[in-house]
Amino acid sequence: MNLFIEGILKAIEMILSGDREIFKITYTTLQVCLTAIFISTLIGIPFGVFLGLNSFPGKKIVLVFVNIGMGLPPVVAGLYITMLLWRSGPLGHLGLLYTTHAIVIAQVLVSLPIIIGLTSAAFQQMDSKMLMQIKALGATRFQKVGLLLRETKLAIMAAIMAGLGRVLAEVGAAMMVGGNIKGDTRILTTSMVMEVSQGNFDVAIALSFILMTLAFIITFILTSLQQRKQLV
Amino acid sequence: MKIVSQIVLMFLLIFVITACKSNDNNEGQPSHGQKDMILATTTSTQDSGLLDVLIPIFEEKYNINVKTIAVGTGQALAMGKQGEADALLTHAPTSEEELVETEEVINRKRVMYNDFIIIGPKADPARISGADINTALQRISENKATFVSRGDGSGTHKMELDLWEKARVDPSNESWYIETGQGMGSTLQLSAEREGYLLADRATYLAHANNFEHMSVLVEGTDELLNIYHVMQVNDKNHGLVNGEAGLLFVEFMVSNEAQEIIKDFGVEQYNQPLFFQYTE
Amino acid sequence: MKKILQLQEVKVIAKKQTLLDVPEFTLQQGDLLGVIGPNGAGKSTLLKVLSFLQAPNEGRVVYKGEEKHANTLSLDIRRRFAVAMQQPLLFDTNVQQNVVLGLKLRKENKKIINEKVDYWLNKFQIDHLAKKNALSLSGGEAQRVNLARALILEPEVLFLDEPFSALDFPTKAQLIQDLKEILNDTSTTTFFVSHDLLEIKHLTKSLAVIMNGNVEQIGYTKEVIDQPNQAVAPFLNKWKELYTL
Repeated sequence: MNLFIEGILKAIEMILSGDREIFKITYTTLQVCLTAIFISTLIGIPFGVFLGLNSFPGKKIVLVFVNIGMGLPPVVAGLYITMLLWRSGPLGHLGLLYTTHAIVIAQVLVSLPIIIGLTSAAFQQMDSKMLMQIKALGATRFQKVGLLLRETKLAIMAAIMAGLGRVLAEVGAAMMVGGNIKGDTRILTTSMVMEVSQGNFDVAIALSFILMTLAFIITFILTSLQQRKQLV
Repeated sequence: MKIVSQIVLMFLLIFVITACKSNDNNEGQPSHGQKDMILATTTSTQDSGLLDVLIPIFEEKYNINVKTIAVGTGQALAMGKQGEADALLTHAPTSEEELVETEEVINRKRVMYNDFIIIGPKADPARISGADINTALQRISENKATFVSRGDGSGTHKMELDLWEKARVDPSNESWYIETGQGMGSTLQLSAEREGYLLADRATYLAHANNFEHMSVLVEGTDELLNIYHVMQVNDKNHGLVNGEAGLLFVEFMVSNEAQEIIKDFGVEQYNQPLFFQYTE
Repeated sequence: MKKILQLQEVKVIAKKQTLLDVPEFTLQQGDLLGVIGPNGAGKSTLLKVLSFLQAPNEGRVVYKGEEKHANTLSLDIRRRFAVAMQQPLLFDTNVQQNVVLGLKLRKENKKIINEKVDYWLNKFQIDHLAKKNALSLSGGEAQRVNLARALILEPEVLFLDEPFSALDFPTKAQLIQDLKEILNDTSTTTFFVSHDLLEIKHLTKSLAVIMNGNVEQIGYTKEVIDQPNQAVAPFLNKWKELYTL
């Protein structure tokens, strides 16, 4: 219990004293996670919409892969990306291993299936009569997707939040492909693992508070966006 | 509410975009003549904090951006072998020599040493305090006292296995022998919880000592327990992408007077004793 | 009378079953055509094909003498029609936003939209609900919004697919009365699928009876009801019996 209180005090102290390193780690975390979720959303929603609205041969197999991807253990993603990005690997010449880009790639890989899966599920659940009605109102394909996105907003925002939750919580892949390099690829989760292994529980607890605060603020913003009501 | 959330959304978008840009700037630095170098080293060196002092000096001096990857010695050596790193700083002399022989690494130089110690609960159920290392390990085995091993192929783990062999004890299938597969810090914590014995490097132990007062140093100070660190560069002839130039510079830097002076004094202020000792050839 | 929509040799087949087989069908401009038939006879399929929502597997749909290929579901033509179905299918926003949706999708001028929405909310007596969330309305209110959403488009053809069948009798009666006046005022060509002979009698000028995917009889409403041909007589007579009870 003492340790917990010490942790809270340490967190306040570190934030108030404007600890440069903490700031840098927090900034990197935000930068990496938001970029990853931004990319995942940009790719995942159109893909999910497409999967949800269209039927084509092989759709079932695609859905199976998406669903497997939703449960893809981050360390597995990390391992494969590491092997791809190794100097001796096929993409080694790009020099991406141990950079924040590599972490973004890993995080996209673990969050994209969640966004695709939940988006396509939301669209598959859509009443076929509603689809007909939207068409009958004279919507173009784009307008139709736009209206449906608004109608499924709750589910889509939930998908983004789920993806973000995964990305913020993820540590194994970030450790492997980022290398937890000080002042470069160190993010909140990897640095927590490191601080714990070094016995600096107070710092780890302080970092956990920062991480949870970030998660809270972002989720709060997304939730208030989710609850908005506005059409076209 | 609508306007507020729209503003916040805009802010987030701008943040992501600038984040991408600032990222590019970081990446852009090498084009100003700065080069990346990957240093694979052990968790114990990183945990001690020594590299946080040395690396920035090296980076400044040679305009090289060092990416320090702290892993177990086993993985660090494997990275060297595959050409995934440019320089290694490790403490598993026997394994290192194998790489030297196959010319996977070159320019291997002794840098520093500290020592390993056997730590255990103050109650000392196996009565090993003050004994020599062979006797101590034998007593632990006879008493079936809990012993916690790194079990991760690290330098410390390899050292521990050597010691067991010398003491003619094979603990690998015993129920009192626990393998964590984790770093030094986590293993220390686990042994403190389970009140077990373990082999640790002094630097990591000192950094953790205040977290568990019921543990103490029981065996120390014999030659067998020396923990010797070597620095070496990965042979760039074998791998196209290895930065041989930077690797060589790093080896030379680590054995230079400038670095050695820092190593000598490191930790004195915090622990009243140095964490590493100069030990160049 | 001008022909606004014609079907020629149209067939709709799904899973090897013929849902609709119409060699010849015409919807006249200004007509108010009721369509009845047993469940699964193909009423809704006929509506979808005529309103360019579903392409027939075979045959031609002709709009104002202009032949449109079976599988080109022209958005341009679809936008001249409006459809209201049994469920109101409103969106999770206020009534006003729902009513103007079709105009917004057509990128109609804002000023015109505002004028029209006031007019149509008033016409269907739902002005007081304008700012209310559409999903919180009663069945009758929701159906008024649904009809206003369709009629604000001033469609060349209004397609109605059992729009009153989920309403209780007094609500239904009032809405039918109001709709009849509006349709008379605007003389909108209407295609009205129904289950209810009373609705048909009250609202329509002509009547088509569909059975097993075929249009078996078509003519003035009164004529069809009074003199059903052999094919539709059993179906219509049973119905008439029910109503005279």
